Amino acid sequence: MYVELKNLNKRFGNFQASDDVSFGIKKGNLIGLLGPSGSGKTTILRMITGLETPDSGDIFIDGTRVNDLPAAKRGIGLVFQNYALFRYMTVFDNIAFGLTVQKKDKKYIRDRVSELIKLIGLEGMEKRRPHQLSGGQKQRVAFARALAPNPHLLLLDEPFAAIDAKVRKELRSWLRDTINKVGITSIFVTHDQEEAVEVADEIVITNNGRVEQVGTPIEIYKDPKTPFAAGFIGKSVTIADYGKLHGFEKIEGFESALLRPEFVHIMKPQNELYPHASQRGIVEDIFFKGNTLELRVNLDGQKLVAYQSLDGASFSVGDEISVLIYRLYLLRENEVRLAENRSIKSEGNFFI
Amino acid sequence: MGSKTIKIVLILLSALFVTLMLILPLATVLVYSLRQGWRTFVSCVTDDYTVKALNLTLLTAAITLAVNTAFGIFSAWSIAKFRFRGKQALTTLIDIPFSISPIIAGLVFILIFGRIGWVYPLMEALDVKIVFAVPGIVLATIFVTFPFVSRELIPLMQSQGCDEEEAAALMGASGLQIFSRVTFPHIKWGLLYGVILCTARALGEFGAVSVVSGHLRGKTNTLPLHVEVLFNEFKLTASFAVASILVVIAIIILILRNIVEFRLKREEG
Amino acid sequence: MSSLKTPPERPKRNVIPGFGLSMGVTLTMLSLIVLIPLASVPLVLRDYSLSEFWRVVTDKQTIATYKVSFSCAAAAAVINVFFGVLLAWVITRYKFPGRRILDGLIELPFALPTAVAGVALTTLYSDKGWIGYLFSKVGVKISYTPIGIKIAMIFIGIPFVVRSIQPVLEKLDPQYEEAAATLGASRARTFMSVVIPEILPAALTGFALAFSRAIGEYGSVVFIAGNIPYKTQITPLIIMNKLEQFNYPAAASIALVMIVFSFLVLFGINILQSKISEISRGS
Repeated sequence: MYVELKNLNKRFGNFQASDDVSFGIKKGNLIGLLGPSGSGKTTILRMITGLETPDSGDIFIDGTRVNDLPAAKRGIGLVFQNYALFRYMTVFDNIAFGLTVQKKDKKYIRDRVSELIKLIGLEGMEKRRPHQLSGGQKQRVAFARALAPNPHLLLLDEPFAAIDAKVRKELRSWLRDTINKVGITSIFVTHDQEEAVEVADEIVITNNGRVEQVGTPIEIYKDPKTPFAAGFIGKSVTIADYGKLHGFEKIEGFESALLRPEFVHIMKPQNELYPHASQRGIVEDIFFKGNTLELRVNLDGQKLVAYQSLDGASFSVGDEISVLIYRLYLLRENEVRLAENRSIKSEGNFFI
Repeated sequence: MGSKTIKIVLILLSALFVTLMLILPLATVLVYSLRQGWRTFVSCVTDDYTVKALNLTLLTAAITLAVNTAFGIFSAWSIAKFRFRGKQALTTLIDIPFSISPIIAGLVFILIFGRIGWVYPLMEALDVKIVFAVPGIVLATIFVTFPFVSRELIPLMQSQGCDEEEAAALMGASGLQIFSRVTFPHIKWGLLYGVILCTARALGEFGAVSVVSGHLRGKTNTLPLHVEVLFNEFKLTASFAVASILVVIAIIILILRNIVEFRLKREEG
Repeated sequence: MSSLKTPPERPKRNVIPGFGLSMGVTLTMLSLIVLIPLASVPLVLRDYSLSEFWRVVTDKQTIATYKVSFSCAAAAAVINVFFGVLLAWVITRYKFPGRRILDGLIELPFALPTAVAGVALTTLYSDKGWIGYLFSKVGVKISYTPIGIKIAMIFIGIPFVVRSIQPVLEKLDPQYEEAAATLGASRARTFMSVVIPEILPAALTGFALAFSRAIGEYGSVVFIAGNIPYKTQITPLIIMNKLEQFNYPAAASIALVMIVFSFLVLFGINILQSKISEISRGS
């Protein structure tokens, strides 16, 4: 493990910002620290940076314990949430700052800065001031500034929060590609699960100061370890009385269930596949989502969400439909169990 | 009444107030100082005592500026860039000299360094004279102008936040580098503004200086004190001639202040 | 209790260097220049009995100075609020030739040495001065009377009021006034119901600042007051008189009364300003 956090704790007054936080990061990976606001993700970032001192626990970078190392000596580059570019310096001077402070020679600084400016694609804008740049350009300059002194580890605090939706998508893939090109171990903080899933090699899910789960986006999606992780990644609805659904029965201790739209298949009643596994519902609302339709379905008072491809059967509001639920996540205090529709298994072995 | 009429009435009323209270006093100084002709005016202004008073005033203002600028920068740095308990109390304490009569500002130094003061024996032993001497004048002036610079800088530095400083610190910049390269460009106009206000008050301080000076002509007389001495001797023309030096300085300061305020607003906007 | 859920405050910044140094310098300078000197006022009075102190600060002539200082400062501050609102309104709402000069002149009392203002006002408003002459024709004396004191205090206080109100009026969107007007409110009514409530807190702050400055003011008042006991003697002047008689404990006693009074006013202004920021935060 290149970066290793062991049992970190941090309190602010009554507020437990970090509660026994432990995880490790492999060299060269891009990690997303994902959680709702107030979940403690920024505190973890600040402790790694050295902007915050943990009350207890250890932080290792490349095998060295860095707890007592001042922030500036940890070899970390930080991209601030609002970039914190030096407003009174040009793009060039911003990127060069870290190197000037280290008293590198002028030629080296010039070469390094032009190399970085090329990397971020802002050739010709060296003389501009931050206020003459767009949000995405500022972001890129902040990124280059953090990279200039050749840090071992790059941290990004909500890197896309201040950028408008359209540019954000483009910047995401740019950042991902560029980080891969540079090959630097990076951690970014975000509250946006879509962003984390798209950009990160691995995700660390935080909630209430604790780490809920660490894993690749697919792992977390397929095999959530905690109810929070199950609910936070992907779209889902909570179902209290899941025992009533056809093909599922109540299991002692699991008080509720989580249903993803991908687990729901809807059909015209006359095309019903598994009569025992399916049940009838009413279409309450239909939303066009650009490439699919999102349907709100009422199933004996239980509301759920289903997707329907545009070239499939068409439904309208008020139609009676057949609903087939393949599987559910059953939730207990700190456990998630996958439950399959038992009636499908008994009726036949083929799947769509 | 139409809105046009109201506008004209209000503007005229304002103009009347400003004329009576501000313009005519200025005019009085200039007219009276030239009342006995240009030559008298020049001889009053270039009088030995006047020149000495001017020198003392400038010296006092220079020392005051140096001290208060240093204080302003250090106090604003600690108050605006860090979190600590009692910050509000500290800010209030810094403002004290504004709410205290200049007479009391002078009095406190007499009570410390004067014959009944607790430092008097020590000063006597060292053969240093503080009150009724130049050091007392400087001290009293520093006291009354103490908050000027810090008061301008604190809100300005607070509104700028700490992110840029933090970013610079993370890259290993020293305190001095951070201040000179990151913070200073932000605050230079605000600092200049505070310095201008501080200069105006330091050049013109009367009450506090009057208490500690002892009015020794040619030695402990500042320009404002010299104006008083001449006025009380019924040398009106001379008094106003000296006052006119201060009026000219005041007008220059007003103009500078307006230019700097304009720049400051533009930077913020 | 949502406060348990959200971080109580932004984490302390600890990477920016220089806290120890700058705090050390700040506290040292503040102590040496302001706090210790001020503490010497009660220190001088340590051998002074309470009854002696009381006798000095409630002496008939001293009481008379409080009355003169207080009543003149209060009257001047009231007049300043009136003209302060007027000037701030005219400067922010109207365009006319000379507006910038008017705006710049407001600051004159800050820039002009108080002694110069004092001698100029005294001369201008004396029986032989341009304005004093006009008033003496109708039997009104200004210089060397309480009216003169008020004039000097108005002079010194006006920028405080204008500069408190001006930013509020600048921020107050004329649309509100227009909206009120389109709803059929008369101009006077619009002003009373829309503008006055907005500028009231700022006007109060300006009043308090002008008042506290006028109470302590010396340079511009001393000449025009004339220092006639029981009539035009202000409190700073009686402190000066005690000093000239080398009666330090008496000077310190009266100074202590003034300091306590100033602190009360300062305290009041602080409360007022925190109330204002509360209101403007919309809670």
